[in-house]
Amino acid sequence: MGRFVAQRLLMLVPVLLGVSLVAFCIIQLSPGDPAQVMAGMEASEADIEMIREKFGLNEPLPVQYWAFLKGLFSGNLVSLRYEAPVMEIVLPHLKNTLILASMSIVLAVLLGVATGVCSAVMRKTWVDYLATVLALFGVSMPVFWWGLLLMLLFSVKLAWLPSGGMGTFAHLILPSVALGTSSAGIIARMTRSSMLDVLKQDYITTATAKGLVRSVVVGRHALRNALIPTVTVIGLQFGQLLAGAVLTETVFSWPGVGRLLVTSILSRDFPMVQATLVIVAALFVFVNLAVDMLYAVLDPRIRYHGR
Amino acid sequence: MKNRRFLLFVLTVLVLFVASSAFGAASTTLTVGQGAEPVELDPQNITDNPSEEVCFQIYEGLVGFDVEDGRLEVAPRLADSWEVSEDGRVWTFHLKKGVVFHSGAPFNAEAVKKNFDRLLTGKYKRSSLFTPFLSEVKVVDDATVQFLLSMSFGPFLHTMCHTAAIIIDPTSIDSGVEIKNNPSGTGPFKFKSWQKGDRITLEAFDKYREGKPAMETVVFMSIPDDNARTMMLETGEIDIAERISAFEVERLKKDQNIALTIQPGMRVMYIAMNNLDPTLKDPKVRQAINYAVNREAICRNILKGYARPIDSPMAYAVNGYAPVEGYKYDPQKARALLAEAGWKDTDGDRIPKKGGKRLELNLWSPNGRYPMDLKTAEAVQGYLHEIGIDAKLSTMDWAAFLAATSVKPEENKSQLFLMGWSPSTGDSDWVLRPLFHTKQWIPEGGNRSFYSDTEVDRYVDIGMTENDPEKRKAAYLEAQKLIIADAPWLTLYVLDNVNGRRSNVKGLVESPLELIFVKGVTKE
Repeated sequence: MGRFVAQRLLMLVPVLLGVSLVAFCIIQLSPGDPAQVMAGMEASEADIEMIREKFGLNEPLPVQYWAFLKGLFSGNLVSLRYEAPVMEIVLPHLKNTLILASMSIVLAVLLGVATGVCSAVMRKTWVDYLATVLALFGVSMPVFWWGLLLMLLFSVKLAWLPSGGMGTFAHLILPSVALGTSSAGIIARMTRSSMLDVLKQDYITTATAKGLVRSVVVGRHALRNALIPTVTVIGLQFGQLLAGAVLTETVFSWPGVGRLLVTSILSRDFPMVQATLVIVAALFVFVNLAVDMLYAVLDPRIRYHGR
Repeated sequence: MKNRRFLLFVLTVLVLFVASSAFGAASTTLTVGQGAEPVELDPQNITDNPSEEVCFQIYEGLVGFDVEDGRLEVAPRLADSWEVSEDGRVWTFHLKKGVVFHSGAPFNAEAVKKNFDRLLTGKYKRSSLFTPFLSEVKVVDDATVQFLLSMSFGPFLHTMCHTAAIIIDPTSIDSGVEIKNNPSGTGPFKFKSWQKGDRITLEAFDKYREGKPAMETVVFMSIPDDNARTMMLETGEIDIAERISAFEVERLKKDQNIALTIQPGMRVMYIAMNNLDPTLKDPKVRQAINYAVNREAICRNILKGYARPIDSPMAYAVNGYAPVEGYKYDPQKARALLAEAGWKDTDGDRIPKKGGKRLELNLWSPNGRYPMDLKTAEAVQGYLHEIGIDAKLSTMDWAAFLAATSVKPEENKSQLFLMGWSPSTGDSDWVLRPLFHTKQWIPEGGNRSFYSDTEVDRYVDIGMTENDPEKRKAAYLEAQKLIIADAPWLTLYVLDNVNGRRSNVKGLVESPLELIFVKGVTKE
């Protein structure tokens, strides 16, 4: 297992180099000059040149890429927009996104798994149909619209919860519900279908024939085996929440990494965009690794061996 | 049973916790929702409006703008009085005594000199606002300072009201501290903290020269989504919401807890035309485009009435503005002018052609940079279609837009492009000189339409160097008349500034420069 983890971590190096190179090329190819954006509309050529000089933006591209890599690994990479070390800005934003994504995934798993199990166990009853409708609703509702509706009801009409910003636990509730709803829908659908497969297996019939109560059959024998594909989906969903929380973060004024990334792209803050993409990619890899390791916990037959 | 009790306890705590945090802040805390996050708080290095707004609460200049009936008047701040020499090249300021910076350091002539010496090094983004005319700042005595100019500069006092001229604590400059993240000035509020991406918190300065402000704490929150900002105002989570969308105004007017301020701003929106373009270099084509567009209808239907058509490139509140007659909507006249320029309908299909080719033009617009920018461009496209011009509309993000319109003349592919301009000094000079003077052609300055007229240049130069306000106004009136006759732009409208506040918020000062000043605010 240790060797497997080490191998996977080693794989991070080429993955992250690839991500950094792709991010660098894309942002360099996009039209727009960061020096011009920073200098403003009325800036003279001299003002713009001064900024290019200051940040090395007039250096050849390979030199700029090398400077980016060096800066990234030494921690000295400087944001063009904030003129401050990138890590000082990205890490607090990343922490905020992690808080939001974690809360959302917890909600999504609780809701999704519970709905999926009920739906499968009570197949073709009104519970199943209702759960299917709710799951479809969750998957299809655009997050910015759903977020606004939640705000209108719980903040404007009922005045129960704050509508935006960050500060207390209350601030976390609406954005995590808005963000987690879609994942809950996907997890519910996946749990339902894998539970249905498992419930048809012979060992479930045997367990029932032995006289075990229904909750033990479903909870201990069926659910655990049905969870493996669900865990894959949960892992992927969590990865997506990390990078894809931008709309939720905008609607709820949540100072997360998605919003930072969009602002940085619009202002052509090259170092910030590249560093953020590399960090988010690294997190994605870690989440996938964690999911792989979780398989072994769920199914003791699965063992990893390094090659 | 035990479990149930524990669960009940947890739920009660949670509900109390949630409820306590959902409701409004203390009556001595003012929360302002800004549409974008400030970039930094070093006033000599900022180019964005949100940063300027926060800086103006922390720092003060020697002079500043008072807002009277929506117009800006230069008024004393850290200077009590000033005079100018006969040749207009020496400005002497008499400074207020007993003023201190947030650090406790005294404000005096040395502090002023240190600030302008820093600016004149040319290392800051706003250095170029002063380097063309300011040679040196001289300390006469502790409370008197002289600005020695390389030439007489008419808009000097207005330029001194700009953020670039507000006074930073000299001890911050000497210590090498990062001013952009640790600002210190003489203003009513001192900097407390900045949670990047979220909020900047200021606290009342108890030694402020006019007395400690009523608000103990002022929070500037970055809330980029228009709907979210409005909702947070409705729920009372913020006390002031800037830049309310025109679509929300009628709904908010019905809410008794909310008061709205709607006043014309200084931002003029226009479609710039590339005057070097083979088609657009003919003034008749440019005039035809001006006659073709119904600006009243655009203001009424797209901006919901929260914009006002204007003929001048300068808004009403700009110092030196004079009413001038422009182009009234007249599509027939537009077609006639196109025909005079050689674009005629020869085969009865109502589409003017020249040499068998249809009149086609690029129309570029940013999307989301200004209120309803793309919708306005779409309307213009429609009006141009009515007179037979095929305007091909494309939109791009701001960085790409700036890059595309900033290409040097020989490689520039722009034809028509939508932009907005608000002069940060509040003076005509900062409209007509950067946008119309021949020496300011991109990339040297901001003249993106490559307009050039020796008479206009002469009048703009007079306005820049003349100190007599009446003579300046007369020169600018002549310049405006010439510019309107030449039609280098299709001038559209002045945007209204719409800000919302909770009804219990009193004493807020709102400037047409899209800035608010909170030092006199109280919450009832």
